[in-house]
Amino acid sequence: MRKLLAVWIAKLASVVGKIVGKKSSATPGVYALKVCPNLISILSSNVKKGIIVTCGTNGKTTTNNLLNSALQKCGYKTVCNDLGANMLSGVATTFAQACNIFGKFTADYAVLEIDEASARRVFKHIKPDYMLITNLFRDQLDRYGEIDTTAELLEEAIDMAGDVKLILNGDDPLTARFGEGRDAYYFGISEKVLPQTDETKEGRFCAKCGEEQEYNYFHYSQLGDYYCTHCGNKRPELSYPATNIDLSSSMKFSVGNKKIDVNYRGFYNIYNILAVYSALDVIGVRTDNFNNILRDYKPQIGRMELIEISGKPFILNLAKNPAGFNQAIQTVMLDKRKKDVIVAINDMESDGQDVSWLWDVDFDKLSDANVKTLITGGSRLYDISLRFKYANMKVDLITNDMRSAIKQCALNPDSEVCYVLVNYTVLFDTQTTMLELKDEFSGKSTLLEARNGGDESGK
Amino acid sequence: MEVTKVENNKNYEINIVHLYPDLLNLYGDKGNISCIENRLSWRGIKMNVIEITSHNRSVNFKNADIIFVGGGSDREQEIVCKLLLEKQDELKSYVEDNGVLVAVCGGYQLLGKYYKTATTKIEGLDILDIYTEAGDTRLIGNVVLESGLFSEPIVGFENHAGRTYLSEKYEPLGKVKYGKGNTGDSGYEGIIYKNVIATYLHGPLLPKNPKLCDYILEKALKRKYPDFSGLVPLDDELEIKGNKHISEKYI
Repeated sequence: MRKLLAVWIAKLASVVGKIVGKKSSATPGVYALKVCPNLISILSSNVKKGIIVTCGTNGKTTTNNLLNSALQKCGYKTVCNDLGANMLSGVATTFAQACNIFGKFTADYAVLEIDEASARRVFKHIKPDYMLITNLFRDQLDRYGEIDTTAELLEEAIDMAGDVKLILNGDDPLTARFGEGRDAYYFGISEKVLPQTDETKEGRFCAKCGEEQEYNYFHYSQLGDYYCTHCGNKRPELSYPATNIDLSSSMKFSVGNKKIDVNYRGFYNIYNILAVYSALDVIGVRTDNFNNILRDYKPQIGRMELIEISGKPFILNLAKNPAGFNQAIQTVMLDKRKKDVIVAINDMESDGQDVSWLWDVDFDKLSDANVKTLITGGSRLYDISLRFKYANMKVDLITNDMRSAIKQCALNPDSEVCYVLVNYTVLFDTQTTMLELKDEFSGKSTLLEARNGGDESGK
Repeated sequence: MEVTKVENNKNYEINIVHLYPDLLNLYGDKGNISCIENRLSWRGIKMNVIEITSHNRSVNFKNADIIFVGGGSDREQEIVCKLLLEKQDELKSYVEDNGVLVAVCGGYQLLGKYYKTATTKIEGLDILDIYTEAGDTRLIGNVVLESGLFSEPIVGFENHAGRTYLSEKYEPLGKVKYGKGNTGDSGYEGIIYKNVIATYLHGPLLPKNPKLCDYILEKALKRKYPDFSGLVPLDDELEIKGNKHISEKYI
């Protein structure tokens, strides 16, 4: 049967891929779909309780994976594209890999992050029961076009989804409007938290009438308690409002009857946690130990990922657009320690070849962030260096050699922490390099310890 | 990398008018303002940036030395066009009086007679004898131009559905060595008319094209101060590396 053949091919391709060290988790699906174009819809019948899809510009992977982790901790079986392969072929791979050799799997829920532009295509094969949308920001304009285009594609996709429950970021005017006339639940932050910034505000004009809109308070990018004095459009009532937010030492806030208290970094993570909390509630899953679930969650690569090298904390963070980078910079600024900062930017196909967006990022703010060393890298190292030059900030080292850069920061006696801010294709190799150096350094120190211990009684 | 502050001649002052940065802010184009600002202040030349937003009804070009207008989505361009039509005559005489005007993407299109899509026709400011029609596809990618103004190539990134057709009397900004340009097949990109430089190039346009930035600054300074003898060179090693990274990759 074609289904079986497709599943075997996908599994074989995955194994081969792992052997040759390929990171792609979408290619096996490409082959599988060639053999059996209906594979996804056939295999989706294995999902018993529901299909939950997460879309949005930033936060898809974290939200999706956290939701997956929560459902599993509550005792449900899930199938999930946790590595982030979020287009049609990625979904095919995920389903195929979940199968046994008879082409079957058992799952209560399918938990899938889906790329906004691919949602229309994916929904031809599966219809989501729940759809979570985190936000819509300007992202890779050369790949996705203007933000209006992405919104249109999502509208089409939601129409195709039919009877779907929407869980939406109510603080985002561009996301909230998907809820109109539909079965929608909104989460958001219902108090003023951060000082205002002057980032490029996408959608600062009313999504309905185009006139300038106001905010009672404003969080970042275009997110906040918005309202339009011209047409009356405003933030919908939040079914899941976050209050009592305290970011002074850890991350604390209240939502529903839960008090969240976790060591997550990054203001935007409030939204990721809220999204998951709301989704679980809408789906009807009870979570008695939500804080534990949050604490046990291991973030995917590059989500404020902590790697210790030679006793120094390194924080590796992925950002791909102004909204993401500005949030990373905010987080760096909230950290009062003496720090080194490495910013590396690539321009490969999946990054977007155009890097003009770097000039919409508030890099200037780093001059107030107790930065001891600033290093730039990636294929567009000159562009990011120019960005700093025209912000009148000194770049200490411009280099393609990430390994040396990290080593230099590890050995810098003048810094207590190092932030490594990268975009998509820089991420994997950087993490590998960091982990290798971690081992190298800890190997060295262990060796030194042994030598020192031996010397006392030795020669 | 130290930025060397270079002392230029004294007491010069340049007013930069940034038109509608709240509406036309699509693509990092405000980096051009940053470039202009710094390349003046690094030479000890005072500069003021005046932002005209959609709130300011009283737009005044009298004291403008450089006017910059960027690009935005179709919706925002329409709004800006309506606002600027109120100032059409003033803008026209500024341009004819050799006022320096830098227009990118949407700003470029606005200077022409009209911009036509499948569904609508947006009247332009009619300052230049050009018109734009949207094509079926978008012209997206890196661009390298050979320019008549200086020996270094001009580099940037284009992303536009519009095909802009120029009357023959105009010079283009440059000849396309790599990329699509004004219409995709004309072989040319952008336009130079008096002290108007209009182009589809993002990047942003000026940081990796320091000679172009200095060309614009000199035009503005010479127009205001006829005795102005020329800009002191800056250390552009980094800018040139950025430029070469693109030009050498694609040629």
